[in-house]
Amino acid sequence: MTTLPEMRDLAQRLLAYEANADRASEPVGSTTLRVYEKLRRSLGELAGTAGFQSLASRALTLARSEVPSLSTVQVAADGNLQGMSAIEPPINAEKDRVHEGGVILISRLLGLLLIFLGEALTMNLVRDVWPDAASEDGNPQDGRKA
Amino acid sequence: MSTQEKVKINQLPTGVPGLDEIVGGGLPEFSFNIIAGAPGSGKTTLAHQFVFANATPERPALYFTVLGESAIKMLRYQQQYTFFDPAKLPDSIRFINLSQVVLEKDLGAVLEEITKEVEKANPAVVVVDSFRTMVRKPESDMELQSFIQRLALFLASWQATTFLIGEYAEEELRDNPVFTVADGLFWLRQTTERNSIVRKLQIIKLRGQASVPGLHTFRITDAGIQAFSRTFGLTARVRNPIGQRRLSLGVPELDKMLDGGVREGDSVLVAGSSGTGKSVLATQFIAEGIRHGEPGIVAVFEERPQAYAERATSLGLDLKTPQKDGKLTILYLRPLDLSVDETMQSILDAVQKIGAKRLVIDSLAGFEMALSPGFRADFRESLYRMIFALTGIGVTILSTVEVDESFTEFPFSTYSISFLCDDIIRLRYVSIDGQLRKIMVIIKMRGGNHAKDIREYEITSEGVVILGERLTNYQGLITGIPVHSNRSAQGEEPSHDSGTKNAI
Repeated sequence: MTTLPEMRDLAQRLLAYEANADRASEPVGSTTLRVYEKLRRSLGELAGTAGFQSLASRALTLARSEVPSLSTVQVAADGNLQGMSAIEPPINAEKDRVHEGGVILISRLLGLLLIFLGEALTMNLVRDVWPDAASEDGNPQDGRKA
Repeated sequence: MSTQEKVKINQLPTGVPGLDEIVGGGLPEFSFNIIAGAPGSGKTTLAHQFVFANATPERPALYFTVLGESAIKMLRYQQQYTFFDPAKLPDSIRFINLSQVVLEKDLGAVLEEITKEVEKANPAVVVVDSFRTMVRKPESDMELQSFIQRLALFLASWQATTFLIGEYAEEELRDNPVFTVADGLFWLRQTTERNSIVRKLQIIKLRGQASVPGLHTFRITDAGIQAFSRTFGLTARVRNPIGQRRLSLGVPELDKMLDGGVREGDSVLVAGSSGTGKSVLATQFIAEGIRHGEPGIVAVFEERPQAYAERATSLGLDLKTPQKDGKLTILYLRPLDLSVDETMQSILDAVQKIGAKRLVIDSLAGFEMALSPGFRADFRESLYRMIFALTGIGVTILSTVEVDESFTEFPFSTYSISFLCDDIIRLRYVSIDGQLRKIMVIIKMRGGNHAKDIREYEITSEGVVILGERLTNYQGLITGIPVHSNRSAQGEEPSHDSGTKNAI
């Protein structure tokens, strides 16, 4: 089972958005961590800490099968992603560089949402967090490529 | 205080077909309600339907999930229902998980969390699912009562209509502070009757307005919950005055026996054993109505509509064209596990849709078999309610019933339902001159004259055709084994009975 191309595209868009956005007020971290944290907040409200933690753990396990270097990354009991900063540079250091593991991890997390909630709810959730970045062409109803 | 100064309680749509009628028009706005019942009884689905029917971006719904069903899985399943509109999430409907707060903190912290979210979102609807899992922790009674009181007060003050969902056993109804505080208490039941599941709901209490008492059946389909009121939604309907018009059955000689036909709004029972032509007569009745511009409904339980229409064609009766023209609906009410109320709702919907004036139920035996075993015990009572409701809105009903042929008895119906019928027509076999022939007699005609004659008939390519005059050459026709006598009916006038009883 590999990452869905649609979810990979979406993950890349979200990561690119966070990498390029002006986030002076936000703590410095890796791009993947920023996307992950926003998903964590949103999904945590819906599914609870434990619900998010189990989804994230599953996503990480699936991602590791594609990107072995993610083996050093862990999902803590509170859903916190640990070890990502070690393999992906901070945003202000290399703005354009996102670790492949980050793309796959976020893709896998979005892919799980797609499996459990379906396209409509997944895209609603993503649009709620990233109103401007969810779709490539800015059309909120067309967040997924055919 | 004059009536003008009374506060008006707005009613919110429940989003559940049939439930608005049961609760008395809609759910009182700002009410604090509990949906209780065993797991799998439809509590969450009911709450979702209410939420989707009422939530808007301006006044959203907050759906707090606690321990129990995972929110992700709940959404996964609930979105299979047609009422679930994904576009409403998250602007109009927000799901908030409180599991962590419940696990790690006390009820005070839970209330604080709910308060914070409610103040932030200004919701019109608040649901806590499952409330029961939240209060199962060993809190003291006072602590629990205080929590519920404060929650109810807070949510009412914030103008939210609230549902608490919980798994409760019926024994817990007494002495439970939750039920005392609640304005509305909806109890959902699911029982097994032999091999069938019967779902029923009861409005145990509802402050501020009169709900329909008793147990109402409901079904969960792809569209969610559909409830069937015991009063069939006809409580507010004005009953039609008893019609004076006579309706033809489509058999001229039979109309004469009925002194011109059956009265409009009557319930007619055609009883006879297999093959005596009950369905043929019913088809002629409905076809005759269509000829006179009276739309009709045929509820069949034992054969498919297409087969029913094709059989009519073989009698020279066209039921296909009126179906296409919207003048006739043949309802095939799928066998097994139906409640009378569901059947009734299907018939009522069809009646209202085409403005039907005639209804055929073919047959009562098939109807009974289509019901869940749990409803069969109530068949007579339910049939009474159904016939009363339908004839009350001016529909003339012809029901067929199969009776066991006996050569020593003359039963009208195996259901002892003759009291439900205004008119009874009995068909039966009789052995005459080495042939098995058929006779017909009017047993009863409430409030009207009818012939006492026993008439022979045949089923031809034109349907039921009554032959000659009444049979006067035989004694003991109704036994089925008459004895030949030498009298002749030639030249005798048909006799009529003006009473409600007859001498047969």
